[in-house]
Amino acid sequence: MYICIAAFFASLVFSLNAIHLGERDIASYYLRNGARDTGSPNIVNSIVWDFRSYDTLGEETVLFTAALGVFLVAERRSSKRKEGV
Amino acid sequence: MDIVIKTTSRILFPFMLLFGVYLAFHGHLSPGGGFPAGAVMGTAFVLLLIAFREKDIEKKLPEWKIADFKSIISLALVFMVLGEFYLREKILLHQRLFDLWSGGETLILNILGSIVVASAIIIIAYSFMKEEWKGIQ
Repeated sequence: MYICIAAFFASLVFSLNAIHLGERDIASYYLRNGARDTGSPNIVNSIVWDFRSYDTLGEETVLFTAALGVFLVAERRSSKRKEGV
Repeated sequence: MDIVIKTTSRILFPFMLLFGVYLAFHGHLSPGGGFPAGAVMGTAFVLLLIAFREKDIEKKLPEWKIADFKSIISLALVFMVLGEFYLREKILLHQRLFDLWSGGETLILNILGSIVVASAIIIIAYSFMKEEWKGIQ
């Protein structure tokens, strides 16, 4: 069984190695047209906040949910303690 | 806390806040951006929370202000959604590269995202520290 798993991963590695990616289309597009499309010369920032801005919006929503959960749990515990005392 | 920590944090606080604002406003031109700017601004407030005593903080930052931060966060998120959907095409016209007020949507989203991250850090730190203070008393 272990030999089978090892063979599977080895074949996976070799097949990944065999794939020739060639010219990476979307990366070269960002590097060539990023400044013109977004207006910001910082290419990392333009990818994070403009090309992939839905991803970033999801991250902000995760942060918001975390803060809201911590606030609600702490508030509930403190109000319960007030009632108990 | 110590007098050294108190004085140092009191002196450092406006500079940290200023550096965070600089990172947010200059993020589309130089290394930086919304997340580091929010982390720096939130850390400035966390430094104040650590350095000073409970009574000073409770006097200066009462409980309803945390609810304010919550509404600020939600407003910033709503404006981010609006910006993603509506503002993108309109802002980008007639802008020169390397200006401060360039960058189209990136500048506005940097500022809003930094507000969201800073408010989240302040809310989480203040909630945990309030629990700790109550446990000590």
